[in-house]
Amino acid sequence: MISLPTKLDAAVKWVTCTHCERPTEVAVRAMSVFCPHCKKRLILEDFKINSYYAVREFSTCGDVVVEKKGHVVAPIKAGSLTVMGKVQGRVTACGQVRIKKSGWFKGELEAPCLLVECGAVLDGFVRIGPSARPN
Amino acid sequence: MADSSNEFPTTLGADAVFKGQLQFEKGVKLLGKFDGEISSEGQLVVADGATLTGDVKAGSVRVDGQVKGNLHATSKVQLSASARLEGDVQTQRLEVAEGAVLVGRCVVGVNGQSRPTTDVRSVSRPAETIPTAKSRLSEPAPAAIKK
Repeated sequence: MISLPTKLDAAVKWVTCTHCERPTEVAVRAMSVFCPHCKKRLILEDFKINSYYAVREFSTCGDVVVEKKGHVVAPIKAGSLTVMGKVQGRVTACGQVRIKKSGWFKGELEAPCLLVECGAVLDGFVRIGPSARPN
Repeated sequence: MADSSNEFPTTLGADAVFKGQLQFEKGVKLLGKFDGEISSEGQLVVADGATLTGDVKAGSVRVDGQVKGNLHATSKVQLSASARLEGDVQTQRLEVAEGAVLVGRCVVGVNGQSRPTTDVRSVSRPAETIPTAKSRLSEPAPAAIKK
């Protein structure tokens, strides 16, 4: 007997809006949505950066991976961040921030969890903890 | 205060309050309240429930309790889930467990100093906007990971 997926069984996940910081339910396969609270566009994609990338704003609810050859100069808001290259700027993450042994980070960091591997470089103001989630 | 354990020959009991400067060569375990400066080449452990107020210079530091002050460790600093640290950290390796609280400036790296920034390009390029659907089709926007 095959049971048809109900509305409750749809693949959804909860993300935190990078603009208003409110939880929002989105489809797992969605790439972007409009936040029902602040009506602003919310990017849900994961990004992998392996070159020089300097922007005024870089926001996503997904995971950001800065590869070894990547160099990001931007304020970053992400679900989680993994740094294997270079990152300069203010980082606000809803999940874990990992700085691998080849990683280099300079700037401010706000995240609930941080891991800095042996050999990595981290220089800046850090605010880690459950209450460090962006308000 | 002496502990029979070789790892931590010095222990500050849970009911003890210490004010002043403490210097030691081997490990020290803090179970009570400490207010002052600590300097050592060994390991310092701030146990769960312990409170340390002041600056610390040690070989390695493990925090399970509460610390208000600057930490300078030559090897590593570990913060467990129950740790709460308010102050600057300078070390070669940093581990912050999920649930720990850390607020302060961190300098983690080779000899606790940042790498030279001579290879960092200046931010003089024209600012770009967030990659839109159109710009994603053209380089050099970062590659999105397909799920």
